[in-house]
Amino acid sequence: MLIYDIRFLFIYMFFVGNLIFVSKNKHLLVVLLSLEFIVLSIFFFFLVLLMFIDYDMYMLMVFLVFSVCEGSLGLSILVSMIRSHGNDYFQSFSML
Amino acid sequence: MLTNNNSNKMFFLFILFFSTLISISSNSWFGCWIGLEINLLSFIPLISNSKNLLSVETSLKYFLTQSLASINFLFMILIKFSLLKNFDMNNIISIMMNSSLLMKMGSAPFHFWFPNIVEGLSWMNNFMLMTWQKISPMILLSYYFNKNFLIFMIIMNLIIGSLGGLNQTSLRKLLAFSSINNLGWMIFSIMISENLWLFYFLIYSMMIFMMISLFFLMNMYFMNQLFINNMNFFIKLNLLINFLSLGGLPPFMGFMPKWIIINFLLINKFYFLTFIFMMTSLIIIYYYIRIIYSSFMFNYFKMKWVNLLMKNNMSLINLSSFISISSMILSTFIFM
Repeated sequence: MLIYDIRFLFIYMFFVGNLIFVSKNKHLLVVLLSLEFIVLSIFFFFLVLLMFIDYDMYMLMVFLVFSVCEGSLGLSILVSMIRSHGNDYFQSFSML
Repeated sequence: MLTNNNSNKMFFLFILFFSTLISISSNSWFGCWIGLEINLLSFIPLISNSKNLLSVETSLKYFLTQSLASINFLFMILIKFSLLKNFDMNNIISIMMNSSLLMKMGSAPFHFWFPNIVEGLSWMNNFMLMTWQKISPMILLSYYFNKNFLIFMIIMNLIIGSLGGLNQTSLRKLLAFSSINNLGWMIFSIMISENLWLFYFLIYSMMIFMMISLFFLMNMYFMNQLFINNMNFFIKLNLLINFLSLGGLPPFMGFMPKWIIINFLLINKFYFLTFIFMMTSLIIIYYYIRIIYSSFMFNYFKMKWVNLLMKNNMSLINLSSFISISSMILSTFIFM
C-alpha cells in the first residue's frame, strides 16, 4: 500500500482504536484501553499538526490534561463496577 | 460520604452549568471540545451517586458513549483543521462532526443508549439529561452543519421517536422517546435560526419540567402507577393538560413552537418534511391519549372512605396547569 501522507497513519490508528472500542470484548478494561489508544493517535496527530506552528505545543498539553482526566474517570467507573458486580465482564449487565 | 451529598451535587452542578457556557462561547473548536469534556466529567458524579447496581451500569453506559463521541469529535476537528475546511459545509467532514454531536445528544441513528440510561436515572437526573445536556451539542451543531445530512437525521429522529414509544410501559422510557422526537423538531429549528431554537427549547424544557416534577412528587415511574392511584382531580387534570401540551395540541403551550416551525416549513415549500412532522406527531399524541384516557376516564379510581391524595404544594400544580392552558392567549398580549 502506497502511503502518500502521514494523515493516513492517523486515520488508520484512529479507525483501529474505534474498531476495538465497538467490538464485543469480554472485559471492560479492553474498551478503556482502546479509548486510550484513540487518545494516543490524536496526540500524535496534534503533535504533527502543531509542529508547523513553530513549536507552540500548549494546546497539546491542554488536550493531554483533559484526556487523562477522562481516562481516570473511566477507570473510576471501572472500579465502581468491580465493587458492585465483582468483575468487569460485560455479561454481568442485566439491569438495563 | 452520605452527609455532604448536597454540597457535592451543588459543586458538580455548578461545573456542569459552567461547562456548557465554556462550550458555546469559545473562540475555537478546541474550546468547544474542552467544554464537552468538562460536561462529561461533571455529569458522571451526579448520576453515579447511589450504591446500587443500576446506577453503576447507567454511569458506565453514559461514559462509554459520550467519551467515544467527544473523542471522535476532536479527531474530526483536527482533520478539519489540517485540511483547512473552515467554511465549506457540505462535505464528509461536517457529516462526521455532526454525527459525533448527534451521538452526544442521543439523536436518532445513535439513540440506543438513551432509553437505557433514562431508565436507570432518577427523575431529577433525567431532567438534567433531557434538557441541559442537549444545549451544548445543539449549539455546536449550528456552527457547522451539513443540511442534507441533518434533514435525513431529522426524519429518522421523528420516526424513531414516535414508533419507539408505542410499546413502552415505563414512564421514563416514554419521555425518552418523546425527547428523541422533540430533538427532531429542535434540530430543524436550529437550522432555521438560533432564536427559534431557543424559543422551542425553553418551552420544551418548561413542559418537561412540569411533567417530571409531577411524576417526581407522585413518585411514579411506571404506567400502571397512573391507573391505580387515588389521585386528586386537579392532579389528574394537570397530567392531562401536560401530556396534551407535550404532544402539541392547539390550545396548550406546546403547540406554539411547533406552529411556528410548521409555518416556516409550509412557506418554504418543504411539503414532504411537513407530512413527516405531522404524521409522527399524531403517533405521539396517540400514545399520550391512550395513557390519559385510561387514567382519566376508564380507570378513574375514587375511594369512598379514605381521603384524596392531597399534596401540600397544590399551588404549583395549579399554576403549571394555568400556564399550560393560557400561555398561547397571554402571548398575544406581549407586543414587541
